[in-house]
Amino acid sequence: MSDLRPMTSIQRQQTRDFVDSLDEESQPYWDMVEIGDELSRDLHLSAELIILYADAVEDFNPWFEGWRMNTWQIEGESPFGHAIVPPMLVSHFVLSVQFDHTKPFAVGSIHTHHDTTVHAPIPVGTTVRITTRATDKYEKRGRRYVRHEVTVTGVPDGTLYATEVRDILSL
Amino acid sequence: MTTKDGAPPADGLITRDTPVGHELEGVKKQAQIQLMGSRLWGRFNPNHWDPEYARSTGLQAPIQTGEMSSAYISEMLVNHFGKAFFLGGRLECKYIGSTLAGEVITTYGVVREKQPKGDGFRFVVDVWASNEDDEKKTVGTAEADVDV
Repeated sequence: MSDLRPMTSIQRQQTRDFVDSLDEESQPYWDMVEIGDELSRDLHLSAELIILYADAVEDFNPWFEGWRMNTWQIEGESPFGHAIVPPMLVSHFVLSVQFDHTKPFAVGSIHTHHDTTVHAPIPVGTTVRITTRATDKYEKRGRRYVRHEVTVTGVPDGTLYATEVRDILSL
Repeated sequence: MTTKDGAPPADGLITRDTPVGHELEGVKKQAQIQLMGSRLWGRFNPNHWDPEYARSTGLQAPIQTGEMSSAYISEMLVNHFGKAFFLGGRLECKYIGSTLAGEVITTYGVVREKQPKGDGFRFVVDVWASNEDDEKKTVGTAEADVDV
């Protein structure tokens, strides 16, 4: 398995130091959340952020390019005229809102399900507000789940871009 | 199938005449820890990129975040529905198995239903992502309007 990530000794030490730095006391997610809890954060969808997301999933659709090597910042092209954000990108950032970023990340929590509707294309460069509301805590086949409803809207115009229901399995 | 710069067709590959049972051609990706552990994805949790840490938590290898397979499936859907997927498209996914580092993942889709809507149809598609041994990792349903 070590050949998945070849490293020298200094890289290994830096990796172990980083992993050790992530070790924090935390509660199970089930205990962190009460039904009705609402959290909200704003995220600026810069061209560079979109590229970082898309490159890691090797999605090279030029519709998503508001940044290109050599020319750098560009307006981009898509069927909507300008560069747009990949359809599941904002869903990826919901986790950062659900897990209150001011608290240690809950151990033993796994994202198990999402049901996402894309209401409108998001232009690259938009700032969105991601709001999550805990709507249910339930047990199924001996496992505990926390359900959230999510809305993603433009700032400041309030355009509805996406809605989602998602479940987190908790220890 | 592609247009300028390798972009998918603006209207996608599915047309109003595409029948129920039609199989979407998917995308194929290898789960690589150098990507799984990038800062914007799984860096915050070493189970997504560090073999030693993953082993200590009982995992055979680092595992992808499920959202990476949702991104793969959505790439397939944009290829097939084009701009329509950004105008009321829906993707529902259940993560039923862990994707291990090194595995090759392929996405699939089969048109299950065409619901008359407006002047066209709302297509309902069964979608999933599997490894080389046909073990399903993610299963779900997608919907998008065509010619509505």
